[in-house]
Amino acid sequence: MGDGKQTRNEEFQSFVVGRWPRLMRTAFLLTGEQHAAEDLVQSTLEQVYVAWRRVGGADDPEAYVRRVMINAHARRHRRRLREFLAPKDDSGLVREVADTGDRIAQADDRSALLQALAQLPARQREAVVLRYWEDLTETQAAEAMGCSVGTVKSNAAKGIAKLRAIPGLADMVTHGGRK
Amino acid sequence: MSADRENHDMTQTDIALLLADAADEVEIGIAPVQAVIRGGRRRKARRWAVAAATALVLAGSTGATLAFAGLPGEHADRGTSVASRPASAEERHVYAPQRTELARGTERGKEWRVWVEVWGAPRDTREAVRQFDAMRRAGLRPAVDKAADLVGRTSYFSMRSYGDGRSLVVMFDTHRRVDRLSGTDLMAAAVPLEEVRPTAPERLVVGHVAKTAREVTCRWKDGSSTVAPLEGPAGHGGTSLIRPVAGYPGGNWFVCIAPQGTAYQDAEVTR
Repeated sequence: MGDGKQTRNEEFQSFVVGRWPRLMRTAFLLTGEQHAAEDLVQSTLEQVYVAWRRVGGADDPEAYVRRVMINAHARRHRRRLREFLAPKDDSGLVREVADTGDRIAQADDRSALLQALAQLPARQREAVVLRYWEDLTETQAAEAMGCSVGTVKSNAAKGIAKLRAIPGLADMVTHGGRK
Repeated sequence: MSADRENHDMTQTDIALLLADAADEVEIGIAPVQAVIRGGRRRKARRWAVAAATALVLAGSTGATLAFAGLPGEHADRGTSVASRPASAEERHVYAPQRTELARGTERGKEWRVWVEVWGAPRDTREAVRQFDAMRRAGLRPAVDKAADLVGRTSYFSMRSYGDGRSLVVMFDTHRRVDRLSGTDLMAAAVPLEEVRPTAPERLVVGHVAKTAREVTCRWKDGSSTVAPLEGPAGHGGTSLIRPVAGYPGGNWFVCIAPQGTAYQDAEVTR
């Protein structure tokens, strides 16, 4: 029994070490900020630790980790929004804030994309990151976000449309981005 | 280069490339494995601490009025291992729990008892609603938001009674799958043995340990300690002991009672 526990601990440790870089990148795209990303990944993995006995033996622990991370991100975002303005529609999703042109600054480097992402409502940001950075299918993204495939589609489409509307970002693509 | 690109429009592939580029901005650093594990352990412990803290609800029944599946000296899990999966909700203990008495004693002329009750998992919402009502009638509040959340989940409550007063829930939780403890794992909560007052010393320690644990040592604030041994087939007359609980597969349960005048410090599996 003690050996089993030690094995599980070792498996968890190598899982953390192996997944840390990828999770950090995803969290960075979701939060747009170094410390917030570290905080999000660490608290996600702490929750995974609590359930590791079950999760570690599952077919797809990654899916569980994604779900925990997206939930944690959504919870934090909701908490922050409550302190500010965000009205919500009947579905509980954050209502889309209309683009005003000057809300998103002219993009001239990598951080422009992060700023642009930060301007998206949380659900759109999650959908864009899961679909186009994590490269998940719509079904996998829906699983991670705990919503329907249709909701993923519409959130990803709206998010992408807003990113496309930023002239600076289009220039970055044309000129190969900043390296 | 696509026509879209020439028109400064972005394809989804471009978005993916930009995201990858932006993600590179983050400093990856070294994975804080030990901090994660410490945080995870704290979270585990906090779950139990919350359970113990919110447990200051008083249940309706007193220990004296309850029927127990196992009394001290009897092995609660005897005969349960070979039973096939029972069909009816009653046989699965959905509406009336299996109760196992852990310990009992007398203090200042009043009898006290500690027991664990395990409510079987309802299979559907109808059963869950009935179970929820039965729990409420017993003065119990399970760790779920609504009755339907009980479907597929086993609930347990460790409780104590003192004299004719109402029972106190010490630890409780509701699980789809009860985690099996191993090695020296230990989950415990301490509450006053007598009346519940904010200043009352926490003299009663109730918790659970792995099936393999043979001895728990509880230490008290005055520096003394009490050893709770695994109860043998013949039982023993002590009030601090480790026992199996009917219907609870996660481990055995233990009880420690502090001498009068001191209170709980910590507990660990020592053998």
